[in-house]
Amino acid sequence: MPTIAEPVKKGLYKSLKLLWLLVKIIVPVSCLVALLDHFGFIESIAGFFTPAMALFGLPGEATIALLFSYFVNYYAALGVITTINLTAQQITVLAVMIGLCHELPVETVVCSYTGLKIPTAAALRITASLGAGLALNQIYILFTGG
Amino acid sequence: MEIITLLIDTIVGTLSNIARLALLLVPVIVLIEIARYYKLIEKITGKVKGALQFLTLPQEAAFPLLGGMLFGIVLGSALIIDYSREGILKKRDLLLIGIFLSISHSIVEDTFIFAVFGANPFVLLGTRMLLAVIITRIAASLIDHFAAKQAY
Repeated sequence: MPTIAEPVKKGLYKSLKLLWLLVKIIVPVSCLVALLDHFGFIESIAGFFTPAMALFGLPGEATIALLFSYFVNYYAALGVITTINLTAQQITVLAVMIGLCHELPVETVVCSYTGLKIPTAAALRITASLGAGLALNQIYILFTGG
Repeated sequence: MEIITLLIDTIVGTLSNIARLALLLVPVIVLIEIARYYKLIEKITGKVKGALQFLTLPQEAAFPLLGGMLFGIVLGSALIIDYSREGILKKRDLLLIGIFLSISHSIVEDTFIFAVFGANPFVLLGTRMLLAVIITRIAASLIDHFAAKQAY
């Protein structure tokens, strides 16, 4: 007789593990970003990327979130997001971009078991991420005027 | 001193964000596990026939595709490896599943986490699903086009 307690227990265990993982990643990343920000590093990186990020309707600081997403994982990107002020629209655009492309060093390898080559997967996802960000921002401009 | 206050503020802020997330994430993960336990995917695989036909994928692709999409790329890939060992799916089909899943995987958890942080979940879900379907369909056409050209 199967019982519902088993998946519930497994789910609780898994979610606690995931939350602990989140704490382990997000807390150090946001501390690092806060420190970098304190010493003005974020400002110079953000300043450099401001024109590029404007294409997505995002502030320059969002560059850091994207880089963390592409090369580390989206939990790390969340750590960055918690330190910058974004409107709901900007968070949505950024979340779409991060959702489409994150944790490339791990996920492209996992996906390569299907026969999808690692550089192809990476190129595909980065293109999808940047393309979707551009398009979504244009759609927002079209419907809300910015 | 200033830096210590800054770090403490950051840690407190981040932890309270994660606590807020926990309130919603725990029930969602438990629900996902229950769905897995009662083999919900096996039960809905028959209902996605139309979508699979559009992607030019066989019925057998439903399980790894839905599993990876809902529960994560690692589960999806594990299923795919099983399937490819057993020769259930063709090389072309596997590649297409890989393309689909690399764009759109673990959409429940991902969408949920970002929604808690203020993103619009419908835009998130819609964009990812739409792109996965379009890109996979285009890839299918391209693969078949070049396979036909090779004429082996």
